[in-house]
Amino acid sequence: MIRYIIKRLFSGLVVLFIVSFITFYILSIIPGDTALMRLGTEATPELVAQLRASMGLDLPWYERYIHWIGAFLRGDWGESLVFGEDVFTLILQRLPVTITLAALSLLIAIPIATIMGVVSAIYQNRWIDYVARTLMQIGEAVPQFWLALIFLVVFAGQLGWFPVAGYVPFEEGMLDSLHSLLLPAIVISFGLIGILIRIIRSSMLTALQQDFMLMPKVNGLPGKTAIFKYAFRSALIAPVTTVMMQLAGLLTGTVLVESIFALPGIGRLLLVAVEQRDILLLQGLVMFITATVVLINFLADILYRFINPLIRLGGEESA
Amino acid sequence: MHKLKANRTFILGIIFVSIVVGLCFISFLYLPHDPNKMNTTERFLMPNPEYLLGTDQFGRDIFSRIMVSTRYALLVGIVSVTAGAIVGITLGALAGIAQKFLQSLIMRIIDGLMAFPGMLLALMFVAVLGKGLGNAVLAIAIFMIPSFARLAYSLVIDQKNELYVKAARSLGANRWYIVRKHILPAMLPRLITQWSSSIGSAILLESSLSFLGLGVQPPNASLGLMLSEAQQFTLTNPYIAIPPGIVLVIAILGFNLIGDGLNDSIVERRSAK
Amino acid sequence: MSGKLLSIKGLRIHDRAGNRLVDGVSLELYDDEFVGIVGESGSGKSLTARALLHAVPSGLSVHYDEYEVFNQQIASLADQKKRELIGKKIGFVPQNTIAFLHPFLKVKQQIGDGYQYHFKKGKHESLKKAKELLKKVGIQDPERVLNAYPFELSGGMKQRVQIASALMTDPELIIADEPTTALDTVHQRQVMNLFSDLNQKEQIPILFISHDLHIIRKYCQRVYVMHNGKIVESGPTEKVFTHPEHEYTKTLIASTLFLTETGTVQ
Repeated sequence: MIRYIIKRLFSGLVVLFIVSFITFYILSIIPGDTALMRLGTEATPELVAQLRASMGLDLPWYERYIHWIGAFLRGDWGESLVFGEDVFTLILQRLPVTITLAALSLLIAIPIATIMGVVSAIYQNRWIDYVARTLMQIGEAVPQFWLALIFLVVFAGQLGWFPVAGYVPFEEGMLDSLHSLLLPAIVISFGLIGILIRIIRSSMLTALQQDFMLMPKVNGLPGKTAIFKYAFRSALIAPVTTVMMQLAGLLTGTVLVESIFALPGIGRLLLVAVEQRDILLLQGLVMFITATVVLINFLADILYRFINPLIRLGGEESA
Repeated sequence: MHKLKANRTFILGIIFVSIVVGLCFISFLYLPHDPNKMNTTERFLMPNPEYLLGTDQFGRDIFSRIMVSTRYALLVGIVSVTAGAIVGITLGALAGIAQKFLQSLIMRIIDGLMAFPGMLLALMFVAVLGKGLGNAVLAIAIFMIPSFARLAYSLVIDQKNELYVKAARSLGANRWYIVRKHILPAMLPRLITQWSSSIGSAILLESSLSFLGLGVQPPNASLGLMLSEAQQFTLTNPYIAIPPGIVLVIAILGFNLIGDGLNDSIVERRSAK
Repeated sequence: MSGKLLSIKGLRIHDRAGNRLVDGVSLELYDDEFVGIVGESGSGKSLTARALLHAVPSGLSVHYDEYEVFNQQIASLADQKKRELIGKKIGFVPQNTIAFLHPFLKVKQQIGDGYQYHFKKGKHESLKKAKELLKKVGIQDPERVLNAYPFELSGGMKQRVQIASALMTDPELIIADEPTTALDTVHQRQVMNLFSDLNQKEQIPILFISHDLHIIRKYCQRVYVMHNGKIVESGPTEKVFTHPEHEYTKTLIASTLFLTETGTVQ
């Protein structure tokens, strides 16, 4: 297990290195000179050259990369062009909104998807299965932004249950804050439910067909024991890791919803960085998000091995 | 050759996709109105015999705009996924048959691309290349590469261990010959399935980018853009957000259902063996 | 031969495509008997066993004219009664090659499930009983085995656990489906001796399914020969082996060399 963790940690670091390289490379081919952008069009060529030199822009790319990644590791992520603030601080400021939003959506999606997925697998090809599968297809096909518009019109506009837009910070009251995030979270959870039903249903179907499901049957145990004790145990291992990976995806999966509901989260920040070509902010965000993804994937892998006794105790090295 | 059992999922998918493709084709032959012609006296009209789906905030015919939009949706969907698939499959297959070093190099790069969740990669490319349709296609194509590469890689690895491939190899057949003659045909059903479902995601991605103002630019019509423009009027005139959204859902759902239907029949055929 | 314990008439099993996998099988089992069903793989013998247990894989449809266990007509029983009768009174020992024990549950977490349910007993009592039975089937350190996951046990060990598990509900009849496949000869003999003891000392009748003619001949008093979903021949073992009537049985026996106790080829 320890050896696996070290091995996995190492490959995670390799991926991070590649990610940083991809990010650096893509963002360095951006048309337009960062130095020029900073000084504006009025700048004299001398001034631009001077700034270029001081920013290290005239060095060869690999030296610039080393310079950049070094500063990055030291926590010096640069200053945002748009906001004029430290990038790292900006990200930390916006993080709580996105994390609360993601957690809230998972909290809504997981129980619903689990129940629907399990029930539809047990009653395969019966009406409840069709309901679950329809929900799954619709959840996967309905664009978040459209759903957000519809929900806004119905629940915020017509019914007035929720604020139309805007975020209430935690300091102004925990409940009001959650209330302002609830409708966006419901919108996000809709898509999550689709994905999770698919995974849980297929995982449960596989479990139900396993040979070990014969044991409770020939022992004459009631169906619910067979399902809850035997099928669940192996069916719910795979989805646990999927849920974790969804969490990572939600860091950017909130862009649209944050933009529609005017929520000051990571997604909005990302959109500003893209629209305004705020390169340092974009670099910081991309590195932050991908590092989180790599970290969560790593943890999901470890968790998977931990909850699966077959692998934990070195029974089989299969996935 | 087994006959593909026509399953309901697949047929429903075909019906939905046909609706969208039909709208697209008709748009080249006939449009009820000029999709970009504004008419301030006829804004926010509900459906009527003159304007089948009503008019938008500028008095433009919603039905005509939707018909033109389907062109972009299908164009972006099919072109970007096909391009991404070709690059991805080539990379994945190459990694599958390559020596250890090249194999791990390619797969690590794919892993790296996989670490960019959802729209992040597309957003990054739009930031670099600028807004617009062509760049959106490119961004979505790159977004599609890793999943196809992963799939192709695992399929090639599976196939390599199949007996008939081993037999061909022991007879001294050349690697690319084996890939072309044995491995690729065996992979095809899975790749087509992935291709179809990916078109659904590509259409979703295009509409999302356009909704954010980063994809198709006005005055052109795209389903995402129509919804984006409708956004500020939805509270007072909710109707204008309905038709483009429904067509968008039909398009995405259609391709997803085709993918699922194909997948079901692959699974069924395998378990029947 | 005294009381009839189990009898099924006209058992038919189809798959979705309509193929007949088991085609009109009728068989009976009486008190104290050790009866074999022999046939090659695909002959439908395992499916027959599963049908007797009401545990046929999903997707297959089962029909029979009549099925009687312990003087009860199965068709007339409610689902729960059926389950309780079969689950409690018939013990099943499966093929060793199948992952029949749940891979993610320790032995102690699953061995007592049937006992706890049918006898309304607690964990403590069920563990006590499991320990006794594990000892009885020749496991020296039941404590360790109970605390192990199935994959931590050897093949022979796993098969003993499965036999012990089948005995937990004090069954009045045991159905064993190829319980010695994939075991080496030493373990094979040990497991077979266990069955033999259960039959002779405890008078538990056994329906034994195998493709191994040696084992069938050595242990079974009566035998059914299955081929292509049908019973082609049946009768006392020695009679079937020495004077086979059906063509298939003849081929089957001719293709196998029999060693007598003294080691000469018969």
